[in-house]
Amino acid sequence: MPYATHPPEDLDAMLSAVGVADPDDLFDIPDEVRFDGDYGIDAHSEREARAAVEGVLDGSTDLVEFLGGGHYDHYVPSVVDHLSLRSEFLTSYTQYQPEIAQGFLQALFEFQSFVVELSGLGIANASMYDRATALGEAALLSSRVRETSGNTVLVPDSLPDRIRSVLENYTDGPGIAVDTYPTSGGTVDVEGLRAAVDDDTLLVYAATPNARGLLEPDLDAVADVAHDNDALFCVGSDVVALSLLEAPAAYGADVVVGDASVLGMPTSYGMGLGIFACREEFLRQVPGRLVGASEDAAGNRAYTLTLQTREQHIRRERATSNICTNQAWVALRTAIHAAWLGPDGLVDLAEECVTGVADLCARLDELDGVSAPVYDGHHFREALVATDAPAADVADHLREEGFALRTVADGGDEYLAVCVTDTNRDRIDDLVDAVAAYGGSR
Amino acid sequence: MTFEVPDEFRYTESHEWVAETDDGYRVGITDFAQDELGDIVFVELPDEGEELAAGDEFGVVESIKAVSDIYAPVSGTVAAVNEALFDAPELVNDDPYGEGWMLELTDVDADELDGLLDADAYEAQTE
Amino acid sequence: MSDERADESAPAPYEQARWHDDGTYEPLLSEKDDTTVAVSSSLPDDLTRDELELPALPEPEVARHYTRLSQMNYGIESGPFPLGSCTMKYNPKFTEDVAAHPGAQIHPLRADADQQGVLELLSELQDALASIGGMDAVTLQPPAGAAGEFTGILVARAYHEANDDDRSEVIVPDTAHGTNFASAAMAGYDVVELPSDDDGRVELEALEAAVSDETALLMLTNPNTLGLFERDITDIADVVHDAGGLLYYDGANLNSLLGKARPGDMGFDIMHFNLHKTFATPHGGGGPGQGPIGVVSELAEFLPNPQIRERADGTYERYAPDRNIGRVHEFLGNWLVLVKAYAYILRHGDEGLENVSEMAVLNANYVASQIEYEVPYGPFHHEFVASADADAADVAKRMLDYGVHPPTTKWPEIVDEALMTEPTETETKSRLDDLAAAFNAVASEDEDALASAPNRTTARRIDQVTAARNPRLSWHALDD
Repeated sequence: MPYATHPPEDLDAMLSAVGVADPDDLFDIPDEVRFDGDYGIDAHSEREARAAVEGVLDGSTDLVEFLGGGHYDHYVPSVVDHLSLRSEFLTSYTQYQPEIAQGFLQALFEFQSFVVELSGLGIANASMYDRATALGEAALLSSRVRETSGNTVLVPDSLPDRIRSVLENYTDGPGIAVDTYPTSGGTVDVEGLRAAVDDDTLLVYAATPNARGLLEPDLDAVADVAHDNDALFCVGSDVVALSLLEAPAAYGADVVVGDASVLGMPTSYGMGLGIFACREEFLRQVPGRLVGASEDAAGNRAYTLTLQTREQHIRRERATSNICTNQAWVALRTAIHAAWLGPDGLVDLAEECVTGVADLCARLDELDGVSAPVYDGHHFREALVATDAPAADVADHLREEGFALRTVADGGDEYLAVCVTDTNRDRIDDLVDAVAAYGGSR
Repeated sequence: MTFEVPDEFRYTESHEWVAETDDGYRVGITDFAQDELGDIVFVELPDEGEELAAGDEFGVVESIKAVSDIYAPVSGTVAAVNEALFDAPELVNDDPYGEGWMLELTDVDADELDGLLDADAYEAQTE
Repeated sequence: MSDERADESAPAPYEQARWHDDGTYEPLLSEKDDTTVAVSSSLPDDLTRDELELPALPEPEVARHYTRLSQMNYGIESGPFPLGSCTMKYNPKFTEDVAAHPGAQIHPLRADADQQGVLELLSELQDALASIGGMDAVTLQPPAGAAGEFTGILVARAYHEANDDDRSEVIVPDTAHGTNFASAAMAGYDVVELPSDDDGRVELEALEAAVSDETALLMLTNPNTLGLFERDITDIADVVHDAGGLLYYDGANLNSLLGKARPGDMGFDIMHFNLHKTFATPHGGGGPGQGPIGVVSELAEFLPNPQIRERADGTYERYAPDRNIGRVHEFLGNWLVLVKAYAYILRHGDEGLENVSEMAVLNANYVASQIEYEVPYGPFHHEFVASADADAADVAKRMLDYGVHPPTTKWPEIVDEALMTEPTETETKSRLDDLAAAFNAVASEDEDALASAPNRTTARRIDQVTAARNPRLSWHALDD
């Protein structure tokens, strides 16, 4: 038996110490619910198990991805794996005994500091599951904050259905409605927003880059509309974009949510790391774990989980959230990656997200029957591409050529979407050739 | 362990006290309550002018390991809150009947105090 | 061997690594370097920040920083980690290598045809978990145990609503995990707390009094948090079902039941699995975990979107169940955790999984038999709750000095000064003896020794009160 075997003499000694002949005798389970069948799962040696799982995984097609759509990757330096896989990090538990867990606590404190620096807000927590659940938590926070009193959360009409669905599940219990405001030209229609906001609005959400890959040009105005109606303003972004963009607090964001797994994680089927930062006055309404600095009995600075009375294990049904297990190890990986990049590296990486997609759009736009980007404005990683031929047909053709792209329905039209980062930028030429070979107007 | 229970105060079963002052009535939590909670790290109190009915939740006290709601012992209007507690919540531990007071109520019907526990009855409850 | 211990029963000597630098342990990255770079970009100035202020360190210094931090952290390979309800077992190394396989680096927005490897693994794992739980359908989406609870409660709510049955209450025993209460409240339910009986189990009469046509769900873990099996489970299920409610199984304690009993056979309608507990995916300092849920067939159509199934032609596809509750995560939670759990299950097979529970239960019983603290409730399974005759939090701090992680403390509250202990199956007898020796060494010590502990950990006792009264949550706040 792997990992759990006592040699016969130990087993005998233990059985005799507890006074049974067989471990099975220790199970106090009534006969009527005893399981006497089998699961039908065969045991494997390590080599066999590894081969079996890897064999299954090899069943996916080998494609170059230009997908994006909420899950992005950048090159992850080897140092991230080697350090984060150190077993003292990987196999540790939540730091309920801080004296013996200073290392991880400090790493999380540094992660929180990184998010504070990027968001410009006073506090950040140690992680949420992903950007969608972080937005859900932001909506719940807005309903608990004293200065706001309404029942509706406003999101852009371009919010991806996947995020909206998570948000609705989070807000349904307390009876908060999710409503949309219009976008035009791919970005927030500020006048349309102004018409949609009223004194029932708890929270206005806008993302930059948004679902169309555009950087929102006028978030100051969005903040003003929200604040004029005593609603909170929540900005969605990611830690690479925020390294380059103006800090959301500077234009009035009250809460910043988004994704941090763009650093530290390879493409991993949508595994995320939600960030959650907000103004300091909401401290006691923050969901999730917080690491704080204190002092130990030796007089040295030491770190500990703090303000735990907000959390489920103490406040139960009145907790700020039900979250317990979070994404701590992903946050560690993000922090290592960010430290490795440093401020220059972060800015350069973000700038590459601006220039890469612009390059690709410019190249595609030269092709007959192709127009890119669909919307004017500054793009980050992603853009929509219009093709005279049905976008789905173009995507199918590209798949035959070894490229994975998605299509996006927008206002009755269907477009091709492209996402360019440092990991696929060297394949832009091939992609453009493949589109050209198909002919955008076919 | 014995706890201080001033004779001239009135008490609730949920461990609040109320005492008459020159301007109205002061409210806080008892010595027993502060000891049960341990080191208090945060106190949340209502806005001045808020009207409370007896039994209303008016605030929260937090220690490291516990959170407790605080209830109005009698009906009245919040004339003042002890803002010193926002920066120094430990006053509730150090001096629960003095500097650790929480609210000052006006418009109190003095008859309502008759329905509360006196010092002996409260002391008996905590034993 | 030169380090042979003179006294067989004395705990092993221990000293955790401690880097030190003028009032701190390892300095912060921001104290090692603070660089402000002027941001220049092809973007217009009004979109970008003027500057970015962060540490700029060369890779060797980054590596040294995190290596030192790791040395000041205690993991399952550092020593025993018997945290009750947390199932801190050894995490097999090979599962990390499997998760690093290039075939795992797949984007979720690929077409089904282009991610067959992923979908096959997901489908196989759905089936394996359904079989282990005795459930008819499984969703893998929830990213943690609490998220699984929340998902299960949403499924229950959708089911009741589909029957035009408006119910407002979720019943939770007083000994339940805090997440049960919080998840029910998040889903909009009133929580009804159910007191335990004198044996620490659900009392049928109390349950009968608690259920009504408002009861949407009863949430139970079995064995419960005291490690006790709810012997009346089929009667409990009848009471809840007769009232029109559903029964939810909190999978936190599933490590005691593999090969022995299945929640589905006990009458549970919904359950969650904590893959990071039962199936040994690493806890990662607090996460990521994954909390798939299983349901009986009547509830399958309400599971989140998407589900995965095999087509007649042997290929796999995602589909939206007819009356799905939508999503609880933007994609499918923590995919890499699913890969590791699947590898763990294949490695063990039926027999290996049953052995896991047998050894987990034997190890818990063995440790309990070797310690001086009283264990008031039994017969227990994979975990027991001892009662310390001193402040349990202090006992825990002192245990750290003996090179073991302490148990979960002060919970469940039904036991005075509770030490909730779950050794898990992956400890050898000699390690269990070390653990028992640590318990007993602490039991013989006076209050002062406990109150001044720990001494051999990186940090000495940390001042929690100051941390909470004056929250400093980033390096920006340290100057305040």
